[in-house]
Amino acid sequence: MKLGIIDLDIANIGSLESAFNKLNIKYKICKSEKDLININKVILPGVGSFKAFMKKVKDNDLEKKIKEMNINNCSILGICLGFQILFNKSSEHGISQGLKLIEGQVNNFKEVDKNIQTPHVGWNSCKFNLPSKLFENVLDNSDFYFTHSYFASKIDKKFVISRTFYDFNFVSAVQKKNLYGVQFHPEKSQSAGLKLLKNFVDFC
Amino acid sequence: MLKKRIIITLTFFDGILFRTKNFRPDYRYTKNFIDLWSIDELILVDISKKKNPNRFLEIINFFKENCFVPITVGGGINTEEYADKLFRNGCEKILLGSNSIKNQTLLKRLSLKYGSQAILQSINFKKKNNEYYATSNNGKNIIQEDSLKIIKNLIKNGAGEILINNVDNDGGLLGYDIKLIKHISSNINIPLLALGGAGNWEHILELFKKTDVSGACTQNIYHFTEESIKSAKNFLKSFNINVRV
Repeated sequence: MKLGIIDLDIANIGSLESAFNKLNIKYKICKSEKDLININKVILPGVGSFKAFMKKVKDNDLEKKIKEMNINNCSILGICLGFQILFNKSSEHGISQGLKLIEGQVNNFKEVDKNIQTPHVGWNSCKFNLPSKLFENVLDNSDFYFTHSYFASKIDKKFVISRTFYDFNFVSAVQKKNLYGVQFHPEKSQSAGLKLLKNFVDFC
Repeated sequence: MLKKRIIITLTFFDGILFRTKNFRPDYRYTKNFIDLWSIDELILVDISKKKNPNRFLEIINFFKENCFVPITVGGGINTEEYADKLFRNGCEKILLGSNSIKNQTLLKRLSLKYGSQAILQSINFKKKNNEYYATSNNGKNIIQEDSLKIIKNLIKNGAGEILINNVDNDGGLLGYDIKLIKHISSNINIPLLALGGAGNWEHILELFKKTDVSGACTQNIYHFTEESIKSAKNFLKSFNINVRV
């Protein structure tokens, strides 16, 4: 196994690095397509806006590479915005297209309820929907740290592995074969989060 | 359900952990006393007169490597380059102070780049003739403008969360300024964090019972023993406050 963390100079790579250092797991920081050669397990973290992030992915020739890795049975874990770009499109700053690896779309909480407080920020629990290796030995309803104003929906429920309640139940984690995505930040979620990252490396 | 957060605020003066009272440094602590596994979030503020970014980054690194919770950093962030450096070094959020009340360019730019969830805007209040005013210059100068208008403008320009403090309560351990907090929270629709005045757990209970703040910040009571945050949370839980235990 060779683990890569995609670094597009925008996500907070420092926290993920500390988490893997704590777990004694080796990783490679990957800034471009060629850094990903020989990597068979990859983490796609992201913060900021959907549009800007997708542009970075494209500018670094990563769109094709990520899709190719997905087809070639590499395991991928998208975190936060890296989770959101796995879907078809987002309404953030006008419609933008995602990687389309899982059918679904991303919208602002306020499009559903204009009185809802955004961002949704803080510790919230994940109610498991389907068993997944990603949550191996993690207790159902464990708390993870969230910080986001957009959420993914219209996803086939066979890919939904956890939901979280904020005004309504939204999808907080997905799995489609070896493609995984979480809306929360495992690297900032103490023991449950570290466990999840270790699971991704060990079992996924 | 979203949990109420207990947030530890630590201030550093020339690299040394300080407690403040009415915004003046009081005495020294050591960071090793903090129960890093029970806190929900951490705010680190550099209050040194002469900033030394590298020394502050060392402190940030210590916490980044030892507690896996979100870290907000603040104190003298006046350039985008410095903010970039902090984000790259493992900070989730940037704390902006009264400078961005005067000039909101940096706030706007950082919010566009990192998203509003990455910006915590702090506002220090002072009471004058029974009215609350936002202040600048470490609580020294009163800004003669409607404080709600100031806050709404900051939100419009990209603040994702607001941290409010009553300067007169800072370090006083007499409880949070409930009236001020209620006044602000009923008029905004983004997460509000309260700081200033927590002397005991009842004060935090009172804050969560009487207002709808998202988090209670404290820099006073939790530093001493290993188990104190844990027991504070158990105490709050016993009064049906929805905290992460």
